[in-house]
Amino acid sequence: MQNVLNAMMTPSFGYAILRMTTPILFATLAAVIASKAGVSNIGIEGIMMFSALAGVIFSGMTKSWVVGLLSALVVGVFLGLMIGFFALKLNTDIVLAGIAVNTLGGGGTIFFLFLASGDRGASNSITSEIVPKINIPLIKDIPILGEVLSGHSGLTYFAFVCVILVYVLLYKTPLGLKMRAVGENRDAADSVGVSVNKISYIALALSGLLAGLAGAFMSMGYMKGFTVNMAAGRGFIGLAAQAMGQGEPIGGMLASLLFGFANAIAINLQGAISLSPQIIQSFPYILVIVSLVFYSLSTRNRLKRIKRAAIESDKTEAKDNS
Amino acid sequence: MISKREKFFDIARSASAIALAMGVAFALILLTSKMPGEAIKSLIVTPFSTKRYVWRILERMVPLVFTGLAVCIMFSSNQFNLAGEGAFFAGGMTGASVAIYMNLPFGLHPVVAVIFAGLVGAIIMLLVSILSVKLGANMLVISLMVNYVILQFGTHINTYVIRDPQWGGNGSYLMQKSALIPPIKYTTSYGLIFAVLMIVVVGLYIYHTKWGYSVRMIGANISFAQYSGIKVDSVIISSQLIGGAIAAMGGAVEVLGFYKRFEWNALPGYGWTGVTIAILAGNNPWKVPLAAFFLAYLEVGSGLMQINADIQPEMLDIIKAIIFLFFAAKNFLAPLRQKLVVKAALSELNENKSVEAEV
Repeated sequence: MQNVLNAMMTPSFGYAILRMTTPILFATLAAVIASKAGVSNIGIEGIMMFSALAGVIFSGMTKSWVVGLLSALVVGVFLGLMIGFFALKLNTDIVLAGIAVNTLGGGGTIFFLFLASGDRGASNSITSEIVPKINIPLIKDIPILGEVLSGHSGLTYFAFVCVILVYVLLYKTPLGLKMRAVGENRDAADSVGVSVNKISYIALALSGLLAGLAGAFMSMGYMKGFTVNMAAGRGFIGLAAQAMGQGEPIGGMLASLLFGFANAIAINLQGAISLSPQIIQSFPYILVIVSLVFYSLSTRNRLKRIKRAAIESDKTEAKDNS
Repeated sequence: MISKREKFFDIARSASAIALAMGVAFALILLTSKMPGEAIKSLIVTPFSTKRYVWRILERMVPLVFTGLAVCIMFSSNQFNLAGEGAFFAGGMTGASVAIYMNLPFGLHPVVAVIFAGLVGAIIMLLVSILSVKLGANMLVISLMVNYVILQFGTHINTYVIRDPQWGGNGSYLMQKSALIPPIKYTTSYGLIFAVLMIVVVGLYIYHTKWGYSVRMIGANISFAQYSGIKVDSVIISSQLIGGAIAAMGGAVEVLGFYKRFEWNALPGYGWTGVTIAILAGNNPWKVPLAAFFLAYLEVGSGLMQINADIQPEMLDIIKAIIFLFFAAKNFLAPLRQKLVVKAALSELNENKSVEAEV
């Protein structure tokens, strides 16, 4: 146990938390923006896989991380819109459309990886680029804190910037207002002249864009290169973090940090305690299950309390009237 | 009159969805293969060219029937439970463990192994459905997380507990001969018979029992089911348990009928294919064998395509996803349906008029 605590007290552990949080945070924001507009994007996991692969292939071809990143985003937006097309135009259950995208992401990426490189399993023969790391001036010279906060992939900082951007979009712009209106009540929004379908498409495109960023980070930041199934459920964990954060960007960020923390512990524990790496790797997923249950129980209790309070106040009102 | 046309429309719609997906497959082959003719022939024709391949289709069909039926039941009450994948894996591992460690006579041994597997599958779904139905957590996310936990615990057991250190590969000790399900012909085991029985049992359960009716009612309209006195929670939970048990039994049948050791170190994917089958079959157990046969045929074909030509078998996932998307699309070809319905209505109207005129 002492080993574990020692490992957690180092600055590199703090660094690992931010690094592990990044893809989950992007995925969470992707889930937040879709669900705020009343469309759920279950396909984030599959989009991440495709974007991760696109980033590797195109950055490898052009030797430019910018092109790699942009192609990951284009793929993300395209798949987001595809979910929209099937859900909104062809009336597919949107959960099923998302599941289909995940199926596509599992085998499709293996197929296209082989086409592009002849590799199976991992993109060993492609020399791809990564998004540059950024050393923050001043902060990087602060002891400990500098080691935790500085020197991350540009995408890690951008993930936290995106929390603010998503917040501003949702609460400070006309488009965000329309999105929330559509998410709250499609028919009501429609009746006041909001183009419901257009807003839903925009939300899914933005959700795909954020999922694309998550995928790009996996192959162009977290690791350099693509391996099969590299999203490893982070897209799904994003859905859980979205639920726990009550669908809000800030709350989602806090939940993402919790899961990033769990992932960082899982990595640091290996070797520190006498459990097998497989058991340790299951901890973050177990934490997601446990925290989802706790979250749902606490919401239930709160609702009950509100109901009870409402009944009591009704009673006192009735008394007052009599 | 209208129902006949609707049936025709359903068939036309299914055929178009399949044609579209195969069109995409052919396009991918033409674009990427150096020998497209051979690739397409291997995918489409070769699986029916010899008896051996046809039996192989039947062999691949067995696990798909189990997971397809499991998902049919679990989705019938409109619950998106995706832990069938994990249950299938856990069932395979349980079946293998019983086959390795228990000493039972031939005949009884596989039955006991499959029953144990079913119990484990039911326990997994009990956990998933209590957490979501009773405690209110999102079933989709919980079931996905459970899959990952099962995979990690499973690989732990496979690496440290049942692993045969004498064997070169990463697999368990040999399963006892008494536990293996014997083949009917080639590599197709008697698991096929079991799968057929399961179709009948599930078909009767869904369409001819009170419970099956309750499950479908909940799927159609949960509030209505509640008001008509159906115990919604317990019906949903029991349907998930049955689904989990069937998926896990499928895993055991697959391992005992096809392998000599337990060798899975990743989720084998049959649970996901089960979702595609349930969509293709419209959650109707009687249509599951057809859907499972079709996907098993494509699986054998894409395997042959890798051997005889230069196309990776994962192309199958792309075909599956496209078929899946168009089958689940309620408005796919909706204008055609509209036309058919209008035409039928008009002709009926005319008939009535002419009858009236005669009178």
